[in-house]
Amino acid sequence: MQTIYTDLLCIGAGLAGERVAVEAAMAGFRVTCLSIVPPRRSHSSAAQGGMQAALGNAVMGQGDSPDVHFADTVKGSDWGCDQEVARIFADTAPIVMREMAHWGVPWNRVVAGTHTYYKGGKPFEAEEAAEKHGLIHARAFGGTAKWRTCYTADGTGRAVLNTLDTKCLQYGVEIHDRTQAEALIHDGERCMGAIVRCLKTGELKAYIAKATLIATGGYGRIYRATTNAVICDGGGQIIALDTGLVPMGNMEAVQFHPTGTVPTDILVTEGCRGDGGTLLDVNEYRFMPDYEPEKAELASRDVVSRRMIEHIRKGFGVQSPYGEHLWLDIRHLGVKHITTKLREVYDICTNFLGVDPIHQLIPVRPTHHYSMGGVRVDKNGHAYGLKGLFSAGESACWDMHGFNRLGGNSLAETVVAGTYIGKQVAQFLQGYDLDIKSAAIRDAHDKIAERIKNIATSAKGRENCYQLRNEMQDAMMEHVGIFRNEKDLKEGVDKLQALYERSMNIGLQASSKGFTPEMSMALRIPGMLKLALCTAYGALMRTESRGAHTREDYPERNDRDWLNRTLAYWKDGETLPVLKYEEASPYYELPPGDRGYGGGKIITAELPPEKLTVPSKGKDEPAAKPAKSAKKK
Amino acid sequence: MSLQNVTLHVPPKDKLSGRLDVLMMVSGFLLALFVGMHMVFVGSVIISPKLMNALAWFFEELYLVQIGGPVILLVMVGHFILGARKMPFRQKEYVAFRAHSKMMHHTDTTLWLVQVATAIIILVMASIHIYTMLDTLPITAAKSAARIQHGNWMPFYIVLLAAAAIHIVIGLYRIGVKFAVVTRENRPKARKFMVYLLVAAAVISFLTHIRLSLLTI
Amino acid sequence: MSRRLHIEIFRYNPLDPDSVPHMQSFYVNEYDSMTLFIALNIIREEQDPSVQFDFCCRAGICGSCGMVINGRPGLACHTQTRDLPEHIVLHPLPVFKLIGDLSVDTGTWFRAVGKKIEAWVHSDDTAFDVRAEEARMENALAEQIFELDRCVECGCCIAACGTARMREDFLGAATINRVARFYIDPRDERSDDDYYDVIGNDQGVFGCMGLLGCEDVCPKKIPLQDQLGIMRRMLALNSVKGILPKGILDKMKHKGCCHEKH
Repeated sequence: MQTIYTDLLCIGAGLAGERVAVEAAMAGFRVTCLSIVPPRRSHSSAAQGGMQAALGNAVMGQGDSPDVHFADTVKGSDWGCDQEVARIFADTAPIVMREMAHWGVPWNRVVAGTHTYYKGGKPFEAEEAAEKHGLIHARAFGGTAKWRTCYTADGTGRAVLNTLDTKCLQYGVEIHDRTQAEALIHDGERCMGAIVRCLKTGELKAYIAKATLIATGGYGRIYRATTNAVICDGGGQIIALDTGLVPMGNMEAVQFHPTGTVPTDILVTEGCRGDGGTLLDVNEYRFMPDYEPEKAELASRDVVSRRMIEHIRKGFGVQSPYGEHLWLDIRHLGVKHITTKLREVYDICTNFLGVDPIHQLIPVRPTHHYSMGGVRVDKNGHAYGLKGLFSAGESACWDMHGFNRLGGNSLAETVVAGTYIGKQVAQFLQGYDLDIKSAAIRDAHDKIAERIKNIATSAKGRENCYQLRNEMQDAMMEHVGIFRNEKDLKEGVDKLQALYERSMNIGLQASSKGFTPEMSMALRIPGMLKLALCTAYGALMRTESRGAHTREDYPERNDRDWLNRTLAYWKDGETLPVLKYEEASPYYELPPGDRGYGGGKIITAELPPEKLTVPSKGKDEPAAKPAKSAKKK
Repeated sequence: MSLQNVTLHVPPKDKLSGRLDVLMMVSGFLLALFVGMHMVFVGSVIISPKLMNALAWFFEELYLVQIGGPVILLVMVGHFILGARKMPFRQKEYVAFRAHSKMMHHTDTTLWLVQVATAIIILVMASIHIYTMLDTLPITAAKSAARIQHGNWMPFYIVLLAAAAIHIVIGLYRIGVKFAVVTRENRPKARKFMVYLLVAAAVISFLTHIRLSLLTI
Repeated sequence: MSRRLHIEIFRYNPLDPDSVPHMQSFYVNEYDSMTLFIALNIIREEQDPSVQFDFCCRAGICGSCGMVINGRPGLACHTQTRDLPEHIVLHPLPVFKLIGDLSVDTGTWFRAVGKKIEAWVHSDDTAFDVRAEEARMENALAEQIFELDRCVECGCCIAACGTARMREDFLGAATINRVARFYIDPRDERSDDDYYDVIGNDQGVFGCMGLLGCEDVCPKKIPLQDQLGIMRRMLALNSVKGILPKGILDKMKHKGCCHEKH
């Protein structure tokens, strides 16, 4: 077995992984990135809309500040987020956007003068200030008080990823693509790297590293209808969970995006609605203002998705061979806007749907999109339970998103967390000595090698991995969707448990030498089922509705009992995770209140005064002020 | 500065590749211009053999033919050598390109093979043509007609003319593409224009030949 | 109404000593809005799990699934079967190293050329001031840069290039387009001479024979033809600097293009 030594091992080379990699490489460390696909193909590249940062350059962003961004984020999270982290995020975001501009991202810029913008399908005029001409512009996104989302047309992910990838090249970050980490090497205390399977040859290699970063993105492929790429199978979360030491945070917090297209489940950006697009029902009637008079289509995603399903259930859905859907209307934005600022949307509609969005309506329905949960880390990105293990981006539960993330906040998180955590990683590496234990390496390797052998020879059975995957996806779609209840979730957990047991007996259908894609899937399925179980079981146990987690049988947000974060551990040999809970936030700079959209009742919590004080600001000063919208109602 | 070839930077910067490219384009363009004028010159016989004779006399009196002929030959050989750098002389390259053009079914790709083939034809035949011309000065309409009518040169000239016309038309289009004169926007127009040019050349050549073969010597 | 598609796939596993390159036929029932992504996955999941091919975003955004579809390189995920005849022949992209069946190694190739052309904005990163406002830029220029930055490096333009097929060291359209992207970016401090160093040779712009295969297959419709032309003209004029008068050079340089440093 080949052994490769490095200072920092980044598992995943999307935006978060590469941003941490660049930070460590700039600090002079040797960095190796693993990636299933060449880095520029990472799913970050598919992100269209933009990154939220309170720059306040656009006329509609005037008066914006990190404070407002922070408040929007906390409200968006339905107070499920870690407010210390949300604060770090909101404060750092503008600097990071400027740095990305310095490195070469072609952000769209402010053009001074009067422009016609759209809000809720209606045009209005606004004048961009001359003194802001040429600074980074912003567009509107859901759940925000200001226009705050920096963008490059609707290819923000692509533009930023390209730029970061060039920086990796410049600073000599080694990229090993077509590799997949199969297990972490650890001795129960410290993480020392990973056992990695080469996806060109099928060989196993050991990567020994002082610090290991998991930045593998989401695990959306546990659902059938997801906007996620086929590589978003939760590989990083799985290897962390497999250690039995590292918990997954808030796995039940799963976001459904309002505008996944039908039937291909490809996402069209929230920018469509941000730029003035509207949602219509079967009668081509704009229904969102009826539910959400203030924010309409631009309420947070969990709310819009819920309202859409609600409306479909009332019988206003459009029938189609692929199930019921609603319409997204961007026709009024005009040819020029659609073919420039929403060009990717235009391409997707024409190429995949046969719909011309300039003249036709786009068929959409809420589709699985994002995982707020993931590897639980502290504010420095250090994973719970293992020293030397870090995580950033969607794969992590850094937890600025809580139970619902705002559009534009996750893409921003990748680079903001990447920068912040990258600095922490570099600091950690400084003067850190790693005791390499060869027994730990051998253990990790042997476990994987044996699994591979068993699967290849069908030693334990001939379960078909594709069939198991399909059944898992169906179970998730049916039982762990947008609206949840005890009966469904129980059934779902039972099904998933049975599938998990069957997944121990996977055997290859076709034998093949060297690399075979079937083996990749076979290796992944048990882990994906674990993640699915963490999600379903976490959802079953959380008897309240918060953000994207909606229980029909417990419709209230229950701050009294559930102002906390689920931590799911997996003990070897079990078929269910062990759930523990920790407080949602060390303190509440913004005390729990009403979001201002979404409706719903709140069971309030009695929080001690010290919890409402930001420690660094001193105890005498009442740092927290209630949310504005909470006052109003 | 590229670290990949930094070792080559101790001597002054080497701009040879670019200059050769410019030279190839310029020589090609000049040759095309010459052939065009040549076509007009020979075509003058359509109006009157006397006109052609007069033009020939004029050029020879000024020694344009005696000096120009060899110069053109030299430019042509030079242009060929410059172009030959890209030709698939190695068998491996040729096989690769053939397979490629067969796979693609792509006009612009196939045309390049035509370009290579016509280049070789022109090199050989135009050299012969220039040699015979210079060997039998002065140029007159009557002599040209005699060659067509009795000397069995007709097939020779048809091939040479066709090759030259095709090579030039493709070549001009290619120069346009290479230097962003032909752009994505005007490419369909440029292609149409090149077809017209080819037809015009064919018509003039055809009429010239008819006239020469009907000319009484 | 629905057709039964005959999909012929190139099969070869270089790691299997018993494997020889051959074509294998599969049959799949076509249905509405079926893409090659769907068809190939049906083949893998229901007929032969050993077939290798690459997909990632399955939305035409990531560039993983470049392959030769009935003779033309293209992205399989956004190719609808209804636009193809009943008999579909699939080959891996040429030029790139074969991994197995339809899967080729584009990542290594693109990283290598990226290093060669030093594909990053050459500026002083240490000069970044966290307190300062960002350097201003015209929105039109930002849009132009992004237009070139949209490249997904799928490798179709390389596979469609006759020059690249003949000569292994040719950089190809995607690479030259990348240089063009940095060339118009005012943040990149490289001079014309610096750009000449990296692509002013027969491996770069002067190796291009203007066959326009790249232009005609690019799935993202990136203006490759125009960029190749503009870069070639710029560097050709650069090479004769000092021979021709400067006034003429300047005039020719900007004729019909917008490629000035803003």
